[in-house]
Amino acid sequence: MTAAVLAQVVVSGALMGLVYALVAYGFQLTYATSKSINFGQGELVMVSAFVSLSLVNAGLPYGLVLPAGMLFGALLGLFVERAGVRLALEQKSEGWILMTIILGLFFLSAAENVWGRDDRPFPTPISSDPIHLLGVDITPLEISVAVGVFAVMGLVELFKRVTLLGKAFEAVSADRDAAELMGISARRAIMLSYGLSGMVAALAGILVSPITTVGPTMSSTLILKAFSVAVVAGLDSGFGVVVVGILLGALEAVTSLTVGSGWREAPGLVLLILALAVRPTGVFGKATIRKV
Amino acid sequence: MICRRLAALAVILLPAIASAQTVKLALTGPFTGGSAPMGGSFRDGAKIAVAEINAAGGIQVGPVKMKIEPIERDDEAKNERGALIAQELASMSDLAGVIGSVNTGVVMAGDKHFQEKGITKIICPAAGSKSMTQWLDPKVPDLSIFRFAAHDGIQSAMVVEEAINRKFKKVMVFFDSTNYGVSGRDDMLDQIKKQGNKLEIVAQEKFNIGDKDMTAQLLKGKSAGAEAVLIWGIGPELAAVSNGMAKIGMKVPLIGGWTLSMSNYIDNAGKNGNGTLMPQTFIEEPITPKAKAFIDAYHKAYSVARIASPVSAAQGYDAVYIFAAAVKQAGTTDSRKIKLALEDLKEPVPGVITTWVKPYAKWDPNNVESHEAFRREQVVMGMVKDGAVVFGNDADRQRLKKAAAGTKGR
Repeated sequence: MTAAVLAQVVVSGALMGLVYALVAYGFQLTYATSKSINFGQGELVMVSAFVSLSLVNAGLPYGLVLPAGMLFGALLGLFVERAGVRLALEQKSEGWILMTIILGLFFLSAAENVWGRDDRPFPTPISSDPIHLLGVDITPLEISVAVGVFAVMGLVELFKRVTLLGKAFEAVSADRDAAELMGISARRAIMLSYGLSGMVAALAGILVSPITTVGPTMSSTLILKAFSVAVVAGLDSGFGVVVVGILLGALEAVTSLTVGSGWREAPGLVLLILALAVRPTGVFGKATIRKV
Repeated sequence: MICRRLAALAVILLPAIASAQTVKLALTGPFTGGSAPMGGSFRDGAKIAVAEINAAGGIQVGPVKMKIEPIERDDEAKNERGALIAQELASMSDLAGVIGSVNTGVVMAGDKHFQEKGITKIICPAAGSKSMTQWLDPKVPDLSIFRFAAHDGIQSAMVVEEAINRKFKKVMVFFDSTNYGVSGRDDMLDQIKKQGNKLEIVAQEKFNIGDKDMTAQLLKGKSAGAEAVLIWGIGPELAAVSNGMAKIGMKVPLIGGWTLSMSNYIDNAGKNGNGTLMPQTFIEEPITPKAKAFIDAYHKAYSVARIASPVSAAQGYDAVYIFAAAVKQAGTTDSRKIKLALEDLKEPVPGVITTWVKPYAKWDPNNVESHEAFRREQVVMGMVKDGAVVFGNDADRQRLKKAAAGTKGR
């Protein structure tokens, strides 16, 4: 096995890993403010991808499809918060677990009925012809994934640190009760986090679709990997997911190459078990003292 | 009072009388889901034949002409649905026969119910070897299951033959981890041995349903110097392989089973699919008058510019005609008698693929070909070109044209 082959596999895997990281980031956003997770996040990715595909087919230029798709994702995220999460949180119950799963199933059925069950290609103006870079073949499409992931995560993180609204978001994440005493509306911050999370999911869908095709089950494996990434990285670490995502993607590809293609899924599960056993708060997570 | 009783009797009897006038033919297959391009095209092709036969007044069954009444069932490519549908159909007392099934798993789950009740079933277009070889047992002296598809045995032989003809020496064998993929790999390895070990297998890799990134496996093949990829899998994953090959600059042909002609392969692979080779029983090119008439009728009836799976559509069409010929010869809608007629069809049946002369023989539990209609000569090599399947070798096109001209002269 030559070094060039290994490098190629690592790069291809790492780029897929960035998509895991982006979806995992969506988990983190909502967990930070509300300590709840949208278990239907994968369906948000899928439905947003389908809506964007319809927009492309309707003749909208790609430059407009991207923001329109993300806006749709944000609205869908807000809908999930309102319909599935808010009441449960107000009653301090864990009902959001079931509700988000149910909403996800609902989106899945709806997509199957509206768009059918077939996998479809997602046309994009970005070329998929490989360019040779430092001994590795990489397509502009893959580069666009990397650029998109870093851009949106960078912007969201910047928003949280610089703007007033973002600081309110951070305050609720740090200590909800204290933030409310300071006059910050936790409910708004949670709504914001779900909107952002939906937007991130939509972007993941739009970025990954030209590579993987669009279908109702497109995110079923993606979401499991993303969940592993989020848990391993820690549910409150911003850029930890990027590191773990890249690592997991590359590890999967290398395992597939060296051990055998049947073992591809193993590293994710092993990492998950190890992380839960050794560092339940995640590798990059902060251990917080819970006052009882 | 009597009047009312008579009326009630009429209500009960009338449908019975009405149904006695039709030939009930079940069409089953996945009409939704990943296999839908094949199931849907099969059904639509079969229904064109049904419509043509009915428009001409129906099938001459003894003294009367009877119309075909198609009964459609969607098995969703799910084994358990297939078993349920088979049970339901097998319990119908007046069913003349069944044509259908795309997925080998569905065949394995359902067909025993038809065999038990002696209901004639023509498997079409499922190609997995096991669907028929499961009955190779001296304890099955009589079989009501037939197949109308180029089975994997023929296909894998052609795939290996094509690689040898194209002077390839080193090949990569690539397959999905389902029953279909693994048995396809076994068939191919078997054929490589049978055809004189002229191909060196430099890599043998597998992938799972739903996999999108095939880079790692393909790189193994590329670095070992594979000159062709012999592949067995289903549409979406095949497309991922094709796109993965383009990405790493692996410019060698993909040769494999007929699933490489599925629209969800051709559409998702786009220009990367060009040059892919696979065995086909029908190419959507109007090279004979019969083929032209069928293609035009299909495009018009379903308002499409391209048949999603031309092979499935043409096989569905021909299978209905063969079944109708058997009903006519049997002179009854009794499924057991139709089976006997199928095993000994006196008249040649002109179809869109070829003119079928004695496609089946009496079931021989030692020879699966007795209930297989297709032989090597009815299958051609197809090639993907700009979003459609065309003839891979011009010799095949000329051969079919000649054959069609020959039958016209007779």
